[in-house]
Amino acid sequence: MPEAIFVVHLDDYQGFVVEKRYPSTLSLNEKALNLVYYEHEKEKATNLKFSDIEGMRVVSFAERTHPGWVVCFVLGADEDYETEDNNMAGMARLILELMSEVPDAVNLREILGNESVLNEPNEEQKMADIFFTPSSALLLERLEIEGVEKAAKLSIWLQTQLQTDTIELHEIVEPLMQSGVIKVELLGKTGETVFLVKDIFGYRAPPVKSIMKAMEADPEMGKKYKQLVSSFFSPPTGKGYNPTLPLDDPNSPLLEDREKMSRLLSKSLPYMVLECLREGPQEIGNIAQKTALPLETVQSILWSFESDRVAAQLDEYGIWVLVSDPVIESFMPEFILPAISKKLADKELAPETAIRHLELLIEEWGEICD
Amino acid sequence: MKFVIRGVYILGQQSEMIFSKEYAKSEHKDSLIEFLVNLTQFIKAVELDGNVESMGVSSWRIFYSLEDAFTFVFIADKADDSAQIKGKISDLIVKFMKDYAPLAIANQPLEGLDAIVDEVAVTLVKVAILGFAGVGKTTTLHLLRGETLPLVHDPTIGVSIKKLPTEVENANIVLWDLAGQSRFSILWAKMIANAQVVVIVTDSTLENVLRSKKLVTLVSEEVPNARVIGIANKQDLPTALTPERVGQILSIPTYELVAIDISYRERLIQIIRKSILEGKADKVT
Ligand SMILES: Nc1nc2c(ncn2[C@@H]2O[C@H](COP(=O)(O)OP(=O)(O)OP(=O)(O)O)[C@@H](O)[C@H]2O)c(=O)[nH]1
Ligand SMILES: [Mg+2]
Repeated sequence: MPEAIFVVHLDDYQGFVVEKRYPSTLSLNEKALNLVYYEHEKEKATNLKFSDIEGMRVVSFAERTHPGWVVCFVLGADEDYETEDNNMAGMARLILELMSEVPDAVNLREILGNESVLNEPNEEQKMADIFFTPSSALLLERLEIEGVEKAAKLSIWLQTQLQTDTIELHEIVEPLMQSGVIKVELLGKTGETVFLVKDIFGYRAPPVKSIMKAMEADPEMGKKYKQLVSSFFSPPTGKGYNPTLPLDDPNSPLLEDREKMSRLLSKSLPYMVLECLREGPQEIGNIAQKTALPLETVQSILWSFESDRVAAQLDEYGIWVLVSDPVIESFMPEFILPAISKKLADKELAPETAIRHLELLIEEWGEICD
Repeated sequence: MKFVIRGVYILGQQSEMIFSKEYAKSEHKDSLIEFLVNLTQFIKAVELDGNVESMGVSSWRIFYSLEDAFTFVFIADKADDSAQIKGKISDLIVKFMKDYAPLAIANQPLEGLDAIVDEVAVTLVKVAILGFAGVGKTTTLHLLRGETLPLVHDPTIGVSIKKLPTEVENANIVLWDLAGQSRFSILWAKMIANAQVVVIVTDSTLENVLRSKKLVTLVSEEVPNARVIGIANKQDLPTALTPERVGQILSIPTYELVAIDISYRERLIQIIRKSILEGKADKVT
């Protein structure tokens, strides 16, 4: 286990600020901080770096999502770096996330002692990033119509939609690529081509698994819980929640709601709490223990879940339950096939491009379909 | 610079002054205080709803807000960034109400309030010192700080950040002495972010000055609002181009310097001070 941890932040005015350190006696000079920071600036691709800084063996972690921040672990003389690296990356990820959300609650000693980690974003979270980034969601809508398009053309289309001439197509495309929703390839001399290979759908699902768990544990409580869920999805009065209504239907769940749900999925700390609730009804202390998050943080996340009608408290049992489960599912976009054949017939699309698109779709969905 | 707060005043129930601090000399202090007393009477008559309001008076802008029985007043220059100053008043109000309001009501001494006000009202101004390796940036930093001048080149690693011991108005000057070695060039763009003044140091040789034109471009792209000045350092060496010539090549106002000669210190501080204040004046338009 590392002997010490420190968290450095480069402030535009004050320079390097050691925001947290453990143990508190750890002393650091400006040169060491400079070297750690420089290592990451030099080569941004790798998050985790090992360096020997003035005799101190340091493993440092930085991530694009937290520019200017570095978490450093000081290793003992005979400590092996490779065997621990996954753990350290996970701890560092958690520390960075906590520093940006609840800096006062960050306790390095506890994190190190419990080896609390934050995992890398999973598939679902990566897909949520798309809806959470409005311009990426807009681009997805366009691709749902076009199926396949040249990057340059999409760029121009986006410029007119967003009414600016300085768009960073790469940034907008990033969440779509990360989640495997699109593939970008260089074909012939025509520059980059963007293919839609997955479509995604975000909605609130009834928390079936969690209800079953509750029923098993305590049928009485399970019944109350089920009522709570029914009153959200099909209230006795009013229309209830139906995500399949078209977006222009006035009763359709708003785009705004989808964005809210995606935010919840893509933000790491709420996601940890959500995953916990998906397992079944939980006491707040239990959630804090399982996630290794500070109790106050869990509390404020639960309150925000409550106001978004994602979770609720069953007062008489002192537990929290999931009411509507934000999920994002992916499926094969077969609806683009007619658009592709039409483009092919109109000679708007080269046959090689169409063939490549089919290949990509088969690669992605082939095994599942047959 | 985004703003300079000239004075901070807190008045109590009977419009009595319970705290005041002036950061800039004012010739009209007495009439100002009388004015503030009248102002508080007026403020109490209107509904502020906890908002911060402001009004222009000659070249100043007076920001005021009411919380319980206390009136808070900041005096700033007319051209300053109102939104930021309003944020500052709100910060001060929160801190004051939490720790000092009960003391003030009980007529107790307000220990430590002065430092709290400084924390809120004193701003930081970033001055970045940029230039290739060995041109004398670190020497310039030591000269500005009135420290012993090192005579050997001990290359800077990354960046070295130090405060100027003297304040300009009520702003603390933070000097960012960047490393000039080419391996550190990847840091330059990031390190000059938010600098209000960038000092480009050259050693006044033709080769170095020509290369430094790139730095002028970098600065104008990264921090277009910053003031940029050139330094024609090492004027004591026979190879030195004149400051006029260096200025022509770089197309920025350029000043002569011998960074290893302490007699240049006062001049250089004045140059930097002037560019900070001018930078601020620019924002008026
Ligand atoms: N003759 C002469 N030497 C100077 C002058 N200013 C600085 N030097 C010398 O130039 C050398 C380099 O100075 P530094 O200030 O360390 O250079 P630097 O620009 O900070 O270099 P890096 O940190 O590597 O970017 C030292 O030996 C200084 O003594 C000057 O005006 N005249
Ligand atoms: Mg130096």
